[in-house]
Amino acid sequence: MSNTYLVTSDRQDRSTADSTPPNLNRSVTRQDEKVTTETRSHACFTAAFRIAGLVFVGATVAIGNGQLPAEESTVPSEVKLTEAEANRLFTLRVQPLLNSKCLGCHGDTADDIKGDYDVTSRKALLAGGESEEASVLPGDPDESPLMWAIKWESMEMPPKENDRLTETEIQYFSDWITAGAPWPSTEVQAEIRHAESQVRENEDGILISTSGGLADEWTYRRYQPNEIWAFVPLADKFQFDSIDGFIGQQIDEANLSAAPMATPAELLRRATFDLTGLPPTPQESKAFNQAWQQDADSAWTGLIDRLLASPHYGERWGQHWLDVVRYADTGGFSNDFERSNAWRYRDYVVRSLNEDKPYNDFVVEQIAGDEAAPGDPEGLISTGFLRMGAWGTAMVPQEEARQLFVDDVVHSVGQSFLSMPMRCCKCHDHKFDPIPTQDYYRMYATFAATQAGEMPAEFLEEENRNGFEANEKMVDALFDYAEVRRAKLVAKREAAAKAWYDERGLEYKPLNARKNDADDAKPERHCGLTEEDQGRLKVREQDVKIWKRRKERFQALAQSVFNGQDLFKNAMKLRQPPKVNANWVPESFIYTGGDYTAKGNPVTPGVLSGTGVSVPGAPSDDPYALPTTQAGRRLAMAKWIVNPDNPLTARSIVNRIWQYHFGQGIVRTANNFGVKGSQPTHVELLDWMARDFMDGGWRMKRLHKLIMTSDAYRRSTQHDDLAAIETVDPDNKLLARFLPRRLTAEEVRDSLLAASGELNRELGGLPCNPEINMEVALQPRMIQFSLAPAYLPSPSRQGRNRRSIYAYRVRGQADPFLEVMNKPNPNDSCEFRDAAAVSPQAFTLLNSDVTSDRSIALATRLQKLSDDSQRQINAAFRLLLGRRATKQETESLTAYIKEMTEYHTQSPAIKIAYPTEITRSLVEEFTGKPFEYTEWLPVFENYESDLKPSDVDAATRAIADMCLLLINTNEFVYVY
Amino acid sequence: MTSLPRREFLYGLGSSLGALALTDALAKDVIADGVAGKGPLSPKPPMHPAKAKAVIMLFMEGGPSHIDTFDPKPELTRLHVTESKRTKGLATGKRFYVGSPFKSRKVGQSGIEMCDQFVHMADAEVADELCVYRGCQAESLNHPEALLHMNTGSRLGGDPAFGAWSTYGLGSVNQNLPGYVVMTELALPQAGSTNWSNGFLPAYFQGTRLRPEGSPILDLEPPKHRSRAHQRRALDALAALNQDHLQRHPEHSDLAARMESYELAYRMQTAVPDIIDLKSEPQHVRDMYGLERKETSAFGRQCLMARRLVQEGVRFVQIFSGGWDSHDYLERGHGSRINSVDQPIAALIKDLKRCGMLDDTLVVWTGEFGRTPDNNHRGGVTALGRGHNVDAMNMWFAGGGVKKGTTVGATDEIGAEAVECVHPIRDVHVTLMHLLGLDDNKLTYFHGGRYKQLSQFGGEVIKEIIA
Repeated sequence: MSNTYLVTSDRQDRSTADSTPPNLNRSVTRQDEKVTTETRSHACFTAAFRIAGLVFVGATVAIGNGQLPAEESTVPSEVKLTEAEANRLFTLRVQPLLNSKCLGCHGDTADDIKGDYDVTSRKALLAGGESEEASVLPGDPDESPLMWAIKWESMEMPPKENDRLTETEIQYFSDWITAGAPWPSTEVQAEIRHAESQVRENEDGILISTSGGLADEWTYRRYQPNEIWAFVPLADKFQFDSIDGFIGQQIDEANLSAAPMATPAELLRRATFDLTGLPPTPQESKAFNQAWQQDADSAWTGLIDRLLASPHYGERWGQHWLDVVRYADTGGFSNDFERSNAWRYRDYVVRSLNEDKPYNDFVVEQIAGDEAAPGDPEGLISTGFLRMGAWGTAMVPQEEARQLFVDDVVHSVGQSFLSMPMRCCKCHDHKFDPIPTQDYYRMYATFAATQAGEMPAEFLEEENRNGFEANEKMVDALFDYAEVRRAKLVAKREAAAKAWYDERGLEYKPLNARKNDADDAKPERHCGLTEEDQGRLKVREQDVKIWKRRKERFQALAQSVFNGQDLFKNAMKLRQPPKVNANWVPESFIYTGGDYTAKGNPVTPGVLSGTGVSVPGAPSDDPYALPTTQAGRRLAMAKWIVNPDNPLTARSIVNRIWQYHFGQGIVRTANNFGVKGSQPTHVELLDWMARDFMDGGWRMKRLHKLIMTSDAYRRSTQHDDLAAIETVDPDNKLLARFLPRRLTAEEVRDSLLAASGELNRELGGLPCNPEINMEVALQPRMIQFSLAPAYLPSPSRQGRNRRSIYAYRVRGQADPFLEVMNKPNPNDSCEFRDAAAVSPQAFTLLNSDVTSDRSIALATRLQKLSDDSQRQINAAFRLLLGRRATKQETESLTAYIKEMTEYHTQSPAIKIAYPTEITRSLVEEFTGKPFEYTEWLPVFENYESDLKPSDVDAATRAIADMCLLLINTNEFVYVY
Repeated sequence: MTSLPRREFLYGLGSSLGALALTDALAKDVIADGVAGKGPLSPKPPMHPAKAKAVIMLFMEGGPSHIDTFDPKPELTRLHVTESKRTKGLATGKRFYVGSPFKSRKVGQSGIEMCDQFVHMADAEVADELCVYRGCQAESLNHPEALLHMNTGSRLGGDPAFGAWSTYGLGSVNQNLPGYVVMTELALPQAGSTNWSNGFLPAYFQGTRLRPEGSPILDLEPPKHRSRAHQRRALDALAALNQDHLQRHPEHSDLAARMESYELAYRMQTAVPDIIDLKSEPQHVRDMYGLERKETSAFGRQCLMARRLVQEGVRFVQIFSGGWDSHDYLERGHGSRINSVDQPIAALIKDLKRCGMLDDTLVVWTGEFGRTPDNNHRGGVTALGRGHNVDAMNMWFAGGGVKKGTTVGATDEIGAEAVECVHPIRDVHVTLMHLLGLDDNKLTYFHGGRYKQLSQFGGEVIKEIIA
């Protein structure tokens, strides 16, 4: 083992390289690349070749056990390479570097060679550039100007920091020049490359066979086995047979001890939030404590079973999935059109999780439910997954809009199910992962016949259709309001038009009929309308369209897809055309550089070849091919994804589930298992769980239980030897203790509603509109040609105070409460929530109507329980924090309530009124002048307001102040 | 535990502030020395010597026409209403050229070209500070995508805004104010707050909107019946509860930071109203910005606030001013827009100079794309307006290390396409970052499988712009 080394791929490895014995078969280990926020160069432009420390020179010193020599040898080696070695060095090392790092400016285009310096031949290199000095002196690297330039000693070449050569790469040049700078013929180079391509594993790593890159250099590049761990088949033999076996081993190896078990109260709160996103009720606490005293283990498993059976489980875990897929009720961009029936997909997700639908079915349904179960409405609803990206067609050329849609689907399928973001290989072969751009476009071809559509899909019995009638009535009223005003303005205009024709003794022509007449043969475009009228007409016209669209919510439609030919698309209305040409078969190409106008080689549908998992029934000369018929492409792709041999799929979901339980994944980058993602902390454990998951029928609830019954999950956040933990394992990779986590935005809101007793626990159905900050609700919002209508809260308390997952989600208008608590922007997939504590959160939690209203409701609830301050305080602690108040807390808060009662007696609260209409002002884009119009807010005509400070007396407001304190505590927002 | 002194400090601050009413000035120092020195927004040194310390970006939403502002095209006047055969972009149907309704002239010592609607900016004291750039090309033809591209480097939405990258790279000097402040009209621009999003960066770096009406920051103040003293009392009671909890959880490092965020919030409650209260500004300054004129008062207020914010150490200020989408009635549309920004912008430049701030404050004026030299019939009528143009636009810079009194790049003779010193948006981003002392290639963040940067794939510095 005297020549086994740890060599990093950084530029620091010079010292190692200089002193390494000449052994081409060294095993090379790359250090786990830590993914942090540290500044780093952009990955797409760092070396395409990842070559760690292959060295052809040798120092004569032998080194043992991987230790560096006491004194680093800086003297250039005396050992000369043989001719064959030097040729090989040039072909496999120097030439590719010249091509990737220098050629762009020095030789790619004959008429534009920077500094007249050409790197395309030995002759040109020896001749040098405009200085007319030789850049390479064969045999003498120290005197060769090329060496000075690449070391950044004279010129700085390549000029960009992130293209700069590593020490190892510089050494290749040095060694090559020492060896006389040979430049073997093209034939010899080809032989060397061919010979190399026959060796699966060498000192540079392993070859991964794919369908082939755009260049041989890519096709035959090598990977470090640990980097492409995700493409390697799952292990099938394991050292351990339990989670704690794997976890414990690494803790032992690090000489750490594991934290003690968390307290029963902590465990109850941890598990209840984890599985349902809600706090345990005081009754649940009591029952759990009693059960725990009788038999801790069975209390724990009983708790897990109860929580997994709760319908709130699907809501909580459904939210995780909706984060990944970017769920929203609108389409984004300039029109932000409502996706009226998107809620059916949201409910499908919740329902599937509650049913414990096998994950492989869940995957197939979302990619190809329509193909897997033709005629089944559920199959159409589930493919809503493919429609989750923000997408608009306004002023986007049709072909480009089409490409944006398919690109989004390819990326989302890769990222969501395979943890393999695909955007990186749209324009070129993947810089780091074994995914050639050909495979990108084969996947693209898989969706080439997939068209976005609002498809007829009968309502299912299990779908919640409560409130349809009242909701629809409101929309009808709003539609009528806009339509009446639109029609009036049109009538005014047409009356003037008619007068114009009458004056000239001409016959009146309606708008469309006169459109193409010459300017002087028809009345002025806005005749009869003032500038204000013109602006108003546009607003009303838009409103008519918006409310008409909103009415689709109540129709049996699903935001889904169908197979068919490319046709003109307007995102405002995406219906399947009456005639679909079932014989149409799309032609697909590699789009060179990602440009849809630059069609390259044709491609057929196919899967990711780098996984080595072929498609059953595919031709033997193209084992990764999918069917080329119009229908069935997606289904075949989906089946390939859930093939148990696929190394990515089960690992991906198991890692996601683990991540949500522990606050960090075994792989930290849940959306990216590629070379540039982070590497697994417990690769064997991941494989063991993935196998177990598949063997157990892809059931997620089973996996939750497996994880939650482990010791690792039940550990305390505290640790006896925190100092050791912080030194040895500051990121808690080893899981010697449990990490606290902050509640998500939805958990904060839902918990407040649960504590105040206001939560409506109804499942599913139409989006609900919680009351959001009224300034934001009524603030104007630009859409194309107009302003969007105001955000209107649901009129009833029950209708508003539902779980946050059901809140109407508009891409162009976030709920400020949820947004400030780090609910992610739905334009991008969120693999894990940010929990940064920023000051606007303090404003929101202290001063917003949301927390004020909840604290008033909670205060009245406490008053109903007891007249006694101490009891009220205790109850508030139980409801919000899950524990009793300490004596000291009770005393100081009793005093606080007293003080606040006095304060509020002196400081009456002002009654707030909700406006039933508002005046809007908008700058008319054609005239640059503002105009006003009235918007009707019918919701507030019969509004069942929440209890407001002015509705209650000083004593209640004082208790509410106490509740507000608890809502703002760290203890409330963190789970231990 | 190393966090112990910090904890004591915090508790002390929390429990004593109410009684002593520590002045904000003092608090600022205390914070600078104490907690905030380690905060995510604490000032960081630039990567290379910076020419600009702060940015004021004036974003003209809707696509201001270069042809009718700083890039006049006499040839178009000759071609006016003659048929156009252009087919680029979304050009469809019968098209005709549109000459500018405005006259243009050379102004100042530098002879910068400017349409005659700009009256105040034509003052040599202002005009000679400008570096007009005519070479930029956008990519997306519609507003939201193009706005997102100019603001975040990506048309898709979800990436961090330029201002977010700036505060990520440099932090902000004043810890009592947000590092990245955004001001808009009452209506948000298309694509809304995604334009100033922190994207995948932590939330500390998001743009904070100072709203023009109502509460400048949402829920900045408690409801009317709860006074500032009431708030202080609540914060002290909260600090006590949190302090006990902190002692029970010494293992949890996030607790102190969250406690501090409440104290910062309390300080912001005075710092923000102070900034937006313009009464302390002398009358001549208020007049200079046009605060008393109906047309200019809204934008004038925001420009004056921008100067005050930068003066107080805010890193990045962005003002959105909409209504530039003149598909029709170009003369009225652009005329009124120019009228509403001309005086405030001139005042801002002069005022920054007067305060000695222009040298290290980079002022940027831009839209999301330019406009076409021709138009299509609208509603069947020869509409005198212009369409969206991604191949040509203009923007200008002032202060902050740009070459003043120059025009860089050029468009063709009808303003259809940039032809000289042509660069994509990413190069503009790289150049502006460079002036701030940031290297776009080094200012990266790992997300979605790679190290991302504002320019997406790297870009080049437009040297011609830099002094």
